[in-house]
Amino acid sequence: MIEIRSLIKAYNKEVVLNIPELIIQQGEVFGLVGNNGAGKTTLFNLLLDLIVPSKGFVVSNQVKVQESEDWKAFTGAFIDESFTIGYLTADEYFGFIAELREMNQADMEQHLDRYNDFFNGEVRGKKKFIRDLSKGNQKKVGIAAAMMGNPEVVILDEPFANLDPGSQFKLRQLIRDQTANFGTTFLISSHNLDNITDVCSRIVILEKGNIVKDVPKTATTLREIEAFFTGVKEEVGFSLD
Amino acid sequence: MNYSLNSFAWKEVTRSSAFGKSLATNIVLGFLALYFALNFLTLGLMIPKIIAESFPEANPVQIFNSYLLVYFGFDLLFRQVLQNLPTISFKPLLILNVKRSQIARYLLLRSLLHFFNFLPYFLLIPVTFSLVTVNHNPAVSIAWFLGITLMILTNHFLTIWLKWWINKSGYGFYIFLAVFLIIYAINFFRIIDLTRLFGSLFDLILVKPIWVVAVAVPLVAAILFNYRFLLGKLYLNLVEKKQKNSTVRDFSWTSRLGDYGKFISLEIRMIWRNKRPRTQFLMTLLFLFYGLLIYKDSGDGIPDFIFILGGLLMISMFSISLGQFFPAWHSSYFAMLMTQNFKMKQFLQSFYYMNVVISFVYYLLTLPYMLIDTRVGYYHSAMLLYHLGVNMNLIFLFGKNSKRALDLSGSSMFNYQGMGAAQWLITFPLLVGPMLVYILSKLVLGVNGALLLLSGLGVAGMLFQPQLFNYFTKAYLQQKHRLIKDYKNS
Repeated sequence: MIEIRSLIKAYNKEVVLNIPELIIQQGEVFGLVGNNGAGKTTLFNLLLDLIVPSKGFVVSNQVKVQESEDWKAFTGAFIDESFTIGYLTADEYFGFIAELREMNQADMEQHLDRYNDFFNGEVRGKKKFIRDLSKGNQKKVGIAAAMMGNPEVVILDEPFANLDPGSQFKLRQLIRDQTANFGTTFLISSHNLDNITDVCSRIVILEKGNIVKDVPKTATTLREIEAFFTGVKEEVGFSLD
Repeated sequence: MNYSLNSFAWKEVTRSSAFGKSLATNIVLGFLALYFALNFLTLGLMIPKIIAESFPEANPVQIFNSYLLVYFGFDLLFRQVLQNLPTISFKPLLILNVKRSQIARYLLLRSLLHFFNFLPYFLLIPVTFSLVTVNHNPAVSIAWFLGITLMILTNHFLTIWLKWWINKSGYGFYIFLAVFLIIYAINFFRIIDLTRLFGSLFDLILVKPIWVVAVAVPLVAAILFNYRFLLGKLYLNLVEKKQKNSTVRDFSWTSRLGDYGKFISLEIRMIWRNKRPRTQFLMTLLFLFYGLLIYKDSGDGIPDFIFILGGLLMISMFSISLGQFFPAWHSSYFAMLMTQNFKMKQFLQSFYYMNVVISFVYYLLTLPYMLIDTRVGYYHSAMLLYHLGVNMNLIFLFGKNSKRALDLSGSSMFNYQGMGAAQWLITFPLLVGPMLVYILSKLVLGVNGALLLLSGLGVAGMLFQPQLFNYFTKAYLQQKHRLIKDYKNS
């Protein structure tokens, strides 16, 4: 369970994120959508203690993220390509992360076997540094590593971007399997509304740092969210006239 | 068109984050440039006197001419190492309405703005006035001056062309070095007196100025070679080099080094697989031969101070050259490391133990210098202890203020990316500190006492290492958010 309490992040008095209260239950697949600059990555960075909040705090499974480092043991994350190490091969990188997560060789193989389909034979066993892989394959490496060791919380920033349609579909399946089998809590952001409404159990829309919509997934969610975004567009167009 | 290309290049340089040279870097660079310019100027003013003293019979200009090939030979060698390829990012230009020939011409023209193309004139201009113009008419003097200018430019473009070729093949530099040494040997053993031949061409210019055209031929050839190369190769893969499969070296043995293995193996891979740390590491190996240069008995024994300097540089060069950027070597994925389940202490300890091992190996490798002077044994041992106990902790102390991200793929030669005041400052206490301790304590305690003091300081540092690790762990964790932010912004 993740609790966010009166969390505010401001740069030079300009508030970029303001969440009075947000609670994410264990096993929830939490989807975050919003326009560019809405504060999605800022929120994820705060959850991972990569930036300091101006006010408020985050509690992840009873661990106050801003005060203790114990959350690292049960949290996996992939924010962008800088979360991979360019001069390692994919296998070496998996090995490194596995060691940090105290997995043995067999655990690691078992975990990665589930991703063979997702990797499409282009990642494992290749004598190629991650920096020389394509953007999409780099992302696959990062995502697979983020889910290593069956963490209780996984944070993925735009995991579907740069992936081909087949891989997007496989990733959706992998996320669903992971929550079904291990009760993993996912926090996912995306600009692709189809993917996010398909995979998530709850969807939150961020707009200029504020939560403007927080809905559980139902049959009509996709249409509602689409209406929200096209509505925003029309409003802007209208006010310009 | 050329105007906008120029402004494009100017903005690329001044606005790039890699340029982010600090004031300190600029000052040090300015000093270096001034120093070399002054050296050349002094040499230029002294040359007439030197030649008159050494070769009182000969024609001084002819003597000067006969040394030209030696100068240009070494100029070419140094340029190979120090001069960069003209690599403005032409990528966005490729799909714009700019002709390839225009881009190529522009790249070549812009490359001329290099310190090496201006430095020789500090020497050349005084020499021209003191040696040439006094005995020759203006037209002849100008032709001679022009001839040397053409040679400087030839060297410039030859360097660029060779570098394209060397970069492509990997072992190219060794071929270049071999050819250089062969020519040097041919000349040295007077099989063919190339320097005289080359010098006589310039002698000829002084008699018949029209011969300057002969010097223009290699320049035109070098420019054309470059131009044609660029026209043919001006595609994306000129700058983007993909790793070949065969060169992935396996370092899996390192992960068997216990708790620290995973980070030590990360460090080793980082050093070996990225251009900048690797050249830096190879340079420290080269430094092991520094002793041959400075451990020389010039009659009345080697001054003891030299052993401190030699021991310090040879044993701790690895730690200093890599440590001055610690932990920025890991800057590109620092945020990722900070979300992983590991202890900061382990990260610091791994770096420490790697340095202990390598410094010890370097210490063993430099012990044969005892054949030159047995005192090397005492001095190097003291420096090893001091380095591990004191300097390593200073590196950690400065490292926590690290600000700039490092671009691992850059070259290490004259690469000031990621260099801030802190990086310049840190070398100061590391290098000057032990020397100062030695000199001052020698006055009071004598030589043996000073050596004991240096070793004692080192041992004390090592005894307190566990406590120091705890302190540094806390300090680095406190700096975590600032480090992440600074690395991202630089």
